[in-house]
Amino acid sequence: MSDYWQFYLPTRIIAGPGTLQDLPEHILASEHRRVFLITDRVLRQNGIVDKVVSVLKGVEMAGIFDEVTPDSEVALVEKAARLAGETGADYLLAVGGGSCIDTAKAVNLVLSRGGNLRDYEGFGQINTPLGPMAAIPTTAGTGSEVTQYALILDKQNHYKITFLSPYLAPALAILDPELTISMPPGLTAATGMDALGHAVESFVSTSTGPLARGLATEACELIFRNLPRAVAAGDDLAARLAMLLASNLAGIAFSNALVGCAHALAHALGALREVPHGVAVGLMLPHSIRFNSRQEPDPYRELTCRLFGSTAGGEMLADMITRLLQECNLPYRLSQLGLAEDDLPAVAGSASVDGAMYTNPRLADAEDLLVILQSAY
Amino acid sequence: MGVFKDAEQLYQCIAGMMEICSEDQAMGGKIREAELVIRFVYSDPDSQITVDAKNPAPHGYFTVYRGENDLEPEVVMEMKADVAHRFWLGKVNLVSALTRGEMKARGPIPKIMKLLPAIKPAFAIYTRHLQNLGYQDLLA
Ligand SMILES: [Fe+2]
Repeated sequence: MSDYWQFYLPTRIIAGPGTLQDLPEHILASEHRRVFLITDRVLRQNGIVDKVVSVLKGVEMAGIFDEVTPDSEVALVEKAARLAGETGADYLLAVGGGSCIDTAKAVNLVLSRGGNLRDYEGFGQINTPLGPMAAIPTTAGTGSEVTQYALILDKQNHYKITFLSPYLAPALAILDPELTISMPPGLTAATGMDALGHAVESFVSTSTGPLARGLATEACELIFRNLPRAVAAGDDLAARLAMLLASNLAGIAFSNALVGCAHALAHALGALREVPHGVAVGLMLPHSIRFNSRQEPDPYRELTCRLFGSTAGGEMLADMITRLLQECNLPYRLSQLGLAEDDLPAVAGSASVDGAMYTNPRLADAEDLLVILQSAY
Repeated sequence: MGVFKDAEQLYQCIAGMMEICSEDQAMGGKIREAELVIRFVYSDPDSQITVDAKNPAPHGYFTVYRGENDLEPEVVMEMKADVAHRFWLGKVNLVSALTRGEMKARGPIPKIMKLLPAIKPAFAIYTRHLQNLGYQDLLA
């Protein structure tokens, strides 16, 4: 842990079965009423969007944008912002997974400030509040409903632009497990492993702090206990709520403390080989932990103490996560993803310059990362 | 007051170090390949340095400009001069500094991240440069 840390949480969080019903009250309390909803086609078709719209009594629906794709990109954000502007919307509502919520954050930026999205690329470029926004996650993994990040794909230049500002965080997050029960087992498992990655990596990050560690520990506990249940029985509301909370807590933790090596590798696997983010994070996590734990002191010792009452540290945690991957029917070897061994050096090179490497608890260059990838192959 | 007593001293230290780096084949070569124009805007003391690796002067792999100029940078980094000083001493984690707001950056950040491994030797060069200038007090 560094001798300096900050912690910031601007989002009101409401959690529990049926809390969707509270949404209109909070929108109206913000003294805004023209809502523009941002979502994707799947949620439009499976009835989730209808369910959300049906509770919005007293609120005007300015419009619905349902074109968000898994990797939202600049042109899409600008299109949604233009449409939202034309409808005179004054409140943004994101319903969906991380991509929908990140898209809405970026739309909020363009809608509130004008100009092009790329004008705000960088760090510290958004220094005053944006318009009000609420986020309703329908997956339990990214924690985007509370983070100060928005990742948007720059298709021309083949990388994800990171927008970072406390003002990007939604004003309101509603964690209603009834909206996640239709999530299929594979997506439940992968998004849950993403949340575990946020929790574990923020716990040992070079920017971590006591608040982030407390939240990350709680998130890990919830995930180890509830992810297999949520995967096996999608309609288990208690497990679904626990996973939404875990994702949320881990989101708050990593929004403040950042992530590490498994995320750097997952970003590279996503960019170069289109491996889904949660799948890649889960797969790389045990191998990254083993690499990071081979130093004194083992940075995971404190975490295994809190979670399992053992000072065994990284080796133990890595084994537990591999078991969790198997229990959730997720791939645990890169070879299972159809990657060629020849692909690995490019992945290692790309990961070595990823921002997440700079808060990893152990220094690692492209050669080290290649060794980690080979151990995961 | 900050580490540097005035802009002149900052230029002597930081721009001076960058000029030494511009002639270093390993480091300069990698920075040249990035073809980036990057501007550092400092406060306390107010000053700015622009590094042009797109159209460098004939000598060196990139050109270092002191003070204001008309170049159009792709990336602009803003920070207190003290943060810059600590950065070049190797004591600042760039990502943490950016997320905490100690540094602000406008433009494509991955291009900067990519250069970080390449500029590592600059930390030692900076320390040596300050010693050569007789600024041991700045290293304390
Ligand atoms: Fe993630």
